[in-house]
Formats: sequence, C-alpha cells, structure tokens
Amino acid sequence: MLSSVARVLRRIESGLLVALLLAMIGVAVYQVAARNLFGTGLTWGDGMVRVALLWLTMIGAMAAGPRGHIRIDVVNRFASERIAERLARITNLFTAILCFALGWYSVTLIGWDYADGTPGFGPVPAWICELVIPVASGVMGLRYLIASFHPPRPDTPESQA
Amino acid sequence: MIAALAIGIVAMAILGAPLFAVVMAAAMLGFFAAGVDLAVIPIELYRIADTPLLVALPFFTFAGYVMVAAKTSERLMNLTRALFGWMPSGLPIVGFVACAVFTALTGASGVTIVALGALLLPMLRANGYTERYSLGLVTTSGSLGLLIVPSVPLILYGIVAQQMDVGEPFTIQQLFLAGLLPALLMIVLLSGWTALRHGGAPRTVFEGRALWQAIKAARWELPLPFVVLGGIYSGLFAISEAAAMTALYVLVAEVFLYREVAIKRLAGIVRESMVMVGSIILILGVALAFTNFLVDAEVPQRLFEFVQASVSSPLTFLILLNILLLVLGAVLDVYAAVIIMVPLLLPVAVGYGIHPVHLGIVFLANLQIGYFTPPIGMNLFIASYRFRRPVLELYAACLPFMAVLLIALLLITYVPFLSLWFL
Repeated sequence: MLSSVARVLRRIESGLLVALLLAMIGVAVYQVAARNLFGTGLTWGDGMVRVALLWLTMIGAMAAGPRGHIRIDVVNRFASERIAERLARITNLFTAILCFALGWYSVTLIGWDYADGTPGFGPVPAWICELVIPVASGVMGLRYLIASFHPPRPDTPESQA
Repeated sequence: MIAALAIGIVAMAILGAPLFAVVMAAAMLGFFAAGVDLAVIPIELYRIADTPLLVALPFFTFAGYVMVAAKTSERLMNLTRALFGWMPSGLPIVGFVACAVFTALTGASGVTIVALGALLLPMLRANGYTERYSLGLVTTSGSLGLLIVPSVPLILYGIVAQQMDVGEPFTIQQLFLAGLLPALLMIVLLSGWTALRHGGAPRTVFEGRALWQAIKAARWELPLPFVVLGGIYSGLFAISEAAAMTALYVLVAEVFLYREVAIKRLAGIVRESMVMVGSIILILGVALAFTNFLVDAEVPQRLFEFVQASVSSPLTFLILLNILLLVLGAVLDVYAAVIIMVPLLLPVAVGYGIHPVHLGIVFLANLQIGYFTPPIGMNLFIASYRFRRPVLELYAACLPFMAVLLIALLLITYVPFLSLWFL
C-alpha cells in the first residue's frame, strides 16, 4: 500500500519536473526570439520562469529523497554499518523537524500574502506561487520521519556520482 | 540554551545531516535569538524567484546530463586525440583537455571520472603509461574544468558574491574570462610534468583524415561553444537565456540529430538532473536567510577584525585561505562550499584588498584540488568504486598530480594578473 503511494508520488514528481523544465526552456527561448526578431516579448514571461524555478527547486529537492541531499559524508564513510544506521535515524529526525518547521512558517507567509493580495507574476498572486513551499516541505518532512524509523540502506559511492 | 543548540546543529552537520537542514536550523536559531518572526525563512527562500541568473543552473545542468547520456564523451575523446595526440606525451594531454571540457559542460559531480575515465584508463595503459600514473590522471582530472565556461560552480560563485554587494562590482562574463588562463596554466603544467616524466612514450602520427572524421562525427556538438559564448558576449541574450538556448540545442542534437538519447529516457534524465539542481538551490535559498542573519549580526565584519588582529599582510591571509579551502574542499561538496563559505570569506578578503573575481578563481582552484585530497576527497571514492581499486592505491597515485596542481594554485593565488589581466 505504502509502496504504491510512493510509486504514484514518484510519477507525479517526474511529470511535474519535466513539465516545469520544458515550460521554462520554451518561454525563455521564446523571449530571446521575440525580443531579437520582433522587439517584443511576454510581459509576464521572465517572472513566470523565475517562479517556475522555485517550484522546480522545491519539487527537485522533494524528489531527492532522504539519501539524495548534499551532506558532509565523513563520519558515515568510516563508521560501521550499525553505527551509520543509528546516526541516520537521528539526523533524519532532525531534518524532518526542520522540514515541518519550514512548512509551518510558509503557511504563515501564504496567509499574509493572501490577505495583502501581494502580486506574483502576471495575473497570478504571490500566495499561489508560494504554495509549493509547504506542500514540498511537508512531503519531505514525512519522508524523513519515515526514514528515521526505517532507515534506507546506505548507498554506494556511484549513486553519489 | 542558544549556545547548546548551536553546538547541537554543528554536531548534526558533522554526523551527516543534510546541509539544507543544518543551514536552515542555524538561520532559524539566529533569527529566533534576535527576536525575528521565523516566517522570514520562507520569505528569504522566495528570493530564489527573484534572482534571474539562477535560472541558468537547471538549464546548463540538464544539458550536461543529456550529453552524459549520449556518446558525447567518445566524440570529445576522438576529437581531442586527433588534435593533440601527435604531441609528446600526447595521450595524457588529450586526457587533460577532454576531462577539462567535459567537466566544464557537466559540472564537477564525478561524472567525468565515470564517463571519460573508463575510456581513458585502458588507452593510457595500452600506450605504456604506468598503472599508477594512469589512475592518478583519471582521478585528478575529474574536476579539472571547474574554472572553464560554463561551469556551474563558477556561475554559482558569481551569484552568491553579487548578492553580498561588497568589493568591486563585476559581471559573470568577467568571471568566465578570469577562469581561462588559470585553467590553461594547470593543463600546461600537468602536460609539461608528464612530458618530463614520460618523454619516451609512443605517440600517434598527426592525420588530417582522422581529424576530419572526428570533426564530422562531432558536427552537431561543435557549434555548442558558439551558442554559449557567442550569445553571452554578443549581448544578444542574457546568461540565463544562453543557458536555455544551450539546453534546447543539446536536446535537439542528442535526441533528434544523433538519436542517441531515446525520448523515453528523457523523464529519467530530467528527474536526475533536477534533483541535483533542487538540492543545490534549496541550500542556496536557506543560505540567503542565514547570510542575512550574519550580516545583521555583523559577523563578517567581526570576523575580519578578528582575523586582522593576527594576520596583517594579504599574502599571509591568502596562504591561510588556501589551507582552509583545501580542507573544506575535501569535506564539502563544491556547491555547498561556495554557498556557505563565500558569504563569510568574501567580506574578509575584500578587507585585505583582494578582488572578488580573483577570490572566486582562487576559491574554485582550491576546491578543485580538495576533490581528490586524501583521505576523503570525493573523486578518490568514485574512482575507487568505478575502477575497483583500493582507495589507498589512489591516494598514492594522486599525490604527484596534487603537487603539480598545488604549484599552479600558488601561482594563481599570488599572481592576480592571471585572473584579472583584462580589468
């Protein structure tokens, strides 16, 4: 059950990443062509590409999974497998707490920007652009929480390459 | 209480917690102690959407990953071989140049060792180079292109340094120019040392036909440097737009012209590359918050006063900086090192009269060497895994290369002209 949820989530992540990246490339290239050939461009184009980068960042970070983030990998390299696993439980719990904290405070921010009607890009208000922060950090928090109870197997050097 | 929590955060970093969480924890603790609402963290994170240059990162990274999936490494090898193979100790020169170009295109993520090392190692052995030399070459050259356009760490340094707004203002274009001579110096010194040591090794004869074949094979990729550089320096498009053009160009070339990357594989490539970009930019986002806290608390200024109390000359400062960065380069990933250390070190360096562009080149040259500094440089472990050799053997193999590159580093550090000749 949990693994089929994970599979669907993985599909959604990949689909969103592909859609975001292609849209960013498309709009950015269109802007160059339109500006240099016709002297025009989309007024909201650059803003959209930048907000898409925020989404790409949060969803990419979410897709990285509990073992995929940049870390200082000194102790793990030299510790025995048992100690490394115990350490992973602790650091994963620490990370889960921080992800939930980020999610919590981003909801506060969204509330403010919703009340103030802060503009995002083009017709889209800022609070919609910000929605990705609590969603992604919530999912990351859950994943790290699960990983702190069931640490995944330590990875090989190649998967870090 | 605050001090205990701070120590706890440092402990988490050393024990291997993800750096984005460590930096975020530090920023939260700092702002909490200063009585600032912690909603400041997502506010700072949202600044990712306010930094136009950052958009270049996913584009260049994606282009690099697509080229790794195609046979670009093979074509690059053939072309450099046809161009430089006839020189004395030609094959190692081919190795240095090909590795440098490939790393510049793909970012220093160890992928050069995996993609090019596997081609180079048997070639070097077959041409009579010792096992030890060959292993050292493929391991140390995996980060050789860090200073060459459009290396992502170079762009990242530019972004972080410009955010700081200290010292002489500069452009990313100037940073790109600054990296060229130092990178060339490294390749020349490595080649010269190899020629001295392996002067008698067999070389291939220069063949016009082989070169023509290699050029023909690489016909769709050869225009790439002109897309990147021409666009940037002609002023036709901004760097982020040049990056988008590069991504589109590489996509079309590898998927539709060479037909080496199936459309089915693209989703996986996008995912893999954007996971890397996401984890880098997330650290940058939380580091923006942390840096803001540091500046509010006047930490860089105090750090400068503290350092200046014991270090009077810029030269001594640079030596200490080199030592610090070599150690950091071994422990920290290059992206994390740039994001976390530049905000602390740049104001201090500027206080000593060091140009931000020069600091960037020194910074990255150090990190490049840190990648294979025993005992924990990342390249050593990737090479050990890829070539199935004990890490200890690689330590020994890398040391002579490290000595040569340290000489290059000293020259780059103490001759600012190498990085700043055009200013």
